[in-house]
Amino acid sequence: MDRASPFARFGREFAESRTALVALIVVLLMIGLALAAPLVAPQDPYDLANLPLMDARRPPGYVGSGGYTHWLGTDAQGRDLLSAILYGLRISLQMGLVAGAIALTLGAALGITAAYLGGRWEAFIMRVVDLQLAFPAILLALVISAMLGQGKLQLIAALAAAQYAYFARTAHGAASAERGKDYVEAAFSTPLPASRVVWRHILPNCLPPLIVVATVQVASAIALEATLSFLGVGLPVTEPSLGMLISNGFQYMLSGRYWISIYPGIALIILIVAINLVGDQIRDQVNPRLKR
Amino acid sequence: MTDAAPLLEVTDLATHFHTRNGVVKAVDGVSFSLKRGEVMGLVGESGSGKSITGFSIIGLIDPPGRVEHGSIKLEGRELVGLPVQDLRAIRGKTISMVFQDPLMTLNPVLTIGAQILLALEAHEKVSAEEGRRRAIAALAQVRIPEPDAKVDFYPHQFSGGMRQRVAIAIALLHRPKLIICDEPTTALDVSIQAEILAEMKELVAELGTALIWISHDLATVASIASKVCVMRYGKIVEAGPVLDVLTKPQHPYTQGLLDSLPSRAEPGQLLARGAGVSDAAPPPRKTAVERHEPKPGVPYFTMELVSKRFQEQPSPLRALLQKLGVAKPPHGVQAVDSVSLTVTRGEALGLVGESGSGKSTLGRMAAGIYAPNAGTVLLDGERVMSAGERPHKTTTRVQTIFQDPFASLNPRMRVSDSIAEGPVTHGIVTKAESAEYVRQWLAAVGLDPAFAERYPHQFSGGQRQRVAIARALAMQPDVVVCDEPVASLDVSIQAQIINLLIRLRSELDLTLIFISHDLSVVRHLCDRVAIMYRGRIVEEGPAGEIYDHPQHDYTKRLLAAVPVLPTA
Amino acid sequence: MLTHIIERVLQALLVMLVMSVLVFVGVYAIGNPIDVLISPDATQEIRQQTIAFYGLDKPLWEQYLTFLGRVLHGDFGRSFVFGMPVLELILSRLPATLELTLTAVIGATLVGVPAGIYAGYKPDSLLSKLIMAISILGFSVPTFWIGLVLIMAFAVELQILPAGGRGETATLFGIEWSFLTLNGWSHLLLPALNLAFFKLALMTRLARAGTREVMLTDTVKFARAAGLSEWTVLRRHVLRLIAIPIVTVFGLEFASTLAFAVVTETIFSWPGIGKLIIDSITSLDRPVMVAYLMLVAFVFITINFLVDLTYVALDPRLRKGRA
Repeated sequence: MDRASPFARFGREFAESRTALVALIVVLLMIGLALAAPLVAPQDPYDLANLPLMDARRPPGYVGSGGYTHWLGTDAQGRDLLSAILYGLRISLQMGLVAGAIALTLGAALGITAAYLGGRWEAFIMRVVDLQLAFPAILLALVISAMLGQGKLQLIAALAAAQYAYFARTAHGAASAERGKDYVEAAFSTPLPASRVVWRHILPNCLPPLIVVATVQVASAIALEATLSFLGVGLPVTEPSLGMLISNGFQYMLSGRYWISIYPGIALIILIVAINLVGDQIRDQVNPRLKR
Repeated sequence: MTDAAPLLEVTDLATHFHTRNGVVKAVDGVSFSLKRGEVMGLVGESGSGKSITGFSIIGLIDPPGRVEHGSIKLEGRELVGLPVQDLRAIRGKTISMVFQDPLMTLNPVLTIGAQILLALEAHEKVSAEEGRRRAIAALAQVRIPEPDAKVDFYPHQFSGGMRQRVAIAIALLHRPKLIICDEPTTALDVSIQAEILAEMKELVAELGTALIWISHDLATVASIASKVCVMRYGKIVEAGPVLDVLTKPQHPYTQGLLDSLPSRAEPGQLLARGAGVSDAAPPPRKTAVERHEPKPGVPYFTMELVSKRFQEQPSPLRALLQKLGVAKPPHGVQAVDSVSLTVTRGEALGLVGESGSGKSTLGRMAAGIYAPNAGTVLLDGERVMSAGERPHKTTTRVQTIFQDPFASLNPRMRVSDSIAEGPVTHGIVTKAESAEYVRQWLAAVGLDPAFAERYPHQFSGGQRQRVAIARALAMQPDVVVCDEPVASLDVSIQAQIINLLIRLRSELDLTLIFISHDLSVVRHLCDRVAIMYRGRIVEEGPAGEIYDHPQHDYTKRLLAAVPVLPTA
Repeated sequence: MLTHIIERVLQALLVMLVMSVLVFVGVYAIGNPIDVLISPDATQEIRQQTIAFYGLDKPLWEQYLTFLGRVLHGDFGRSFVFGMPVLELILSRLPATLELTLTAVIGATLVGVPAGIYAGYKPDSLLSKLIMAISILGFSVPTFWIGLVLIMAFAVELQILPAGGRGETATLFGIEWSFLTLNGWSHLLLPALNLAFFKLALMTRLARAGTREVMLTDTVKFARAAGLSEWTVLRRHVLRLIAIPIVTVFGLEFASTLAFAVVTETIFSWPGIGKLIIDSITSLDRPVMVAYLMLVAFVFITINFLVDLTYVALDPRLRKGRA
């Protein structure tokens, strides 16, 4: 007999997919690198005093005036690209995770509340959510960040506002389904207080689909941030995320200095693909219709 | 080939599933043979391998399963190892199959006619006109009224029984030599089951088709088959003519199956093979919920003119349009329509009805899960649910046991938490006492107290139902609403749970409202019976009287539809 | 049905009203458009005149009501930047976006759905794994980066396709279209490919998930038991059953791309409405933003409604049945 808790069982099943496991390791590694950026980066790319202009736009493998090799080359200001990418990763991840967490909390609260209240409130909340979902997230993010102006907090607000609706719909769907199940009716018929039913019974069972959406949304928040920064409405120049690095390198691409734009792009893609692979595996695992 | 030669000969068939937890020997050395036109029942509990045997014969075993060894010979031709194309040519043409749930088998977005045409085209070239003509004829054959109109219907426009008839019509299209029916009436009401059984019997006799009827229910098999094989753990434990096997069973397993049936026991007695009931007594009542003294002159448990209507909530905009008279209000379903019911203390009331009769809705109103739209539910003269805009349950004296033990326990909670949650919340026991309290209850429902820290997925269906019973009774209720508590369990497990309920009822002096579609279970457990039909109670009275002298037409039909086991 | 249409129309009007208020207030909050309108060295007098001309001295609610009154007469105002009526401006840019979007979405569907069905039908085959690998890339890689790579590869390195613009156009129904000329196609190809990449991934994943689920149902098992060939099962049963989510996504993707091909249009300098909106956001061209967002709301509501109608055509359970 299987003695493991549902959580341990889930982890074991997850580990059976080698792709997903590798992806998870990559995600954790990148988070680790981002956190440790000041320690592992060869250079502080934003210490302006430290940027020799003679090192600008050098190809990968160039040994700069600092005496160390620029493995990924340097950018227009003579920054070591590897260091810039590590710091950029930090900002991109920060944006994605914080915006995702806020959107998750807000959306889940709204969706579960709507499912719990039912009736007119449910109809109203879900109408607003559906309406917002009809619009592409990037349009909303763009308009909101244009209204709020540039800045980290403004961008997080724009991303969260563009994304909470996905969580709300998922949470609502899951909570409505759970609410109709026998174990929730059993809890109500005990009777247990409503707050306890929501926290202890409905919420934990809504988590799997929410986690799936969370992985997708964190990945898409990171991509969205990069896109907005690329379009010039995202972060200010003082917060160079991966998107901004790509954008900065764009103009040099046509003259053959591909690395300034391509390497940050590859870092961004590895991160997003890895997150999505993890999400895919979780999605397959929690999909009851694929269980036989 | 002479008539005496077998149509189908299965020898030492083994179908195994290679899962990551090891090999599951679903079918493990099964042999039997079937003559032309013969009707054979294949009986067993869940996991016995009876359905997999059927799927093996028609060659539809999906990976990770595969036929390991053995032989399946149809008219002398070996089917095991046949190329996919040759197997496909046999499927639907020589061997066809009918599945359990007619709601799932037909494609919801194609008309009946289109689906029949697809099945026709699988084996012959037919023109659209010819196809339509034959589709209509096929529907007529399975007694579907107005077949020339119904051929253009979509599946959702049919009832479950009608859909199963369509599936049978498709299976019969090419006049196969063998039909395999996998629990074809299990998902249907007993009266529909009786019709389908009778029709199927006639049809196979008329067409000379052999039939393998796979079922968990000995009584339905007895009413259609001439011979029967009893399966257990992938093996046939007993085979022979139906009458012999059912009246003079040789194998102890068959014997046990028969003894587990409530229809063969004295009402109220423990079932002979319902083993596994421990003798541990439930923990004593706590002072916090001291027995309520009966109030003289007040009926014990009453439902007065309760009604429940399910209606979709209109959107705010639509509600506005409705008010303006532009939009019509949406259709609602009147599940329960002005029902009144009284239960005296210590009584067991059976609430019987077919699907859609409103019995579960009535039960949920009795249990304080649904608030009635009209009427009141009172226990000792006090409301079970509060009045007002958002009614909530106000008493712990009524508790519920649900049908599906896989759905009624929170999968993310240890069973100890599931059982202790209510009693701790309501101060029946303190948090410190709760561990011991849970252990006592697990013992009282016949489970090892050491299981307390497990999660629901670590239990079998029967064990989960015991946990669910412990959870309900740990609240120390006076009235327990049981909503089909044994319907999704195998007969031997069903017998154990019935015995457990009988014992606990007498030990705890419980009042039961027992909801079931199974007339024999109700007869066995209940003193009084109420028959529900379309949201109303059509007949009510002492169990013996209703069963022996039904008054209402519906009750009579219901009782007549129940398949009966031959007795020695 | 009539009630449904009335409900939808009312809903649409409500949404567009709310939308216009939000946008109006929101855009007002961004900054003073007067800085865009006139050069910094203009005299105080000219400044006052311009402000009065555009009604910018009035309180916000009054400006809004004036705007609303004009909209009812079909007048969305004049662009601050282009100096022409907004509606005319948007309509002149629409065909470019329309042809780009249609090419991308239809192409993505025609390739993605069969690929997804195959991947769902044979999930363990090598080809399926390749399809899924491509789709996860398409799903993950930001559109703008793919655009850069495409330009880099085809326009800069190989020099076989142009990097921007619409190319030669030909006239049909009095509108200029690129897809009518060979040169136009060569300009259309890269941006369409760029746009299609994400949608291709989406369609593939959707079709695969649907197929995997449908293949496990009793409907398919029963069809197989009746001797239907695998091809018939896929074509007649599976395709019909997964069509509903695919139509939804097709509609939504079409609408959202139409409204927002911003990234692709910017990279490939495609003169569509996406490019227009990003320009007007950066230049605070308020009338264009307001009109554009209202138009987007209108397009979405219309397409949602069409998707609903298609549902009814595809799923008989939604029709009034004789159950």
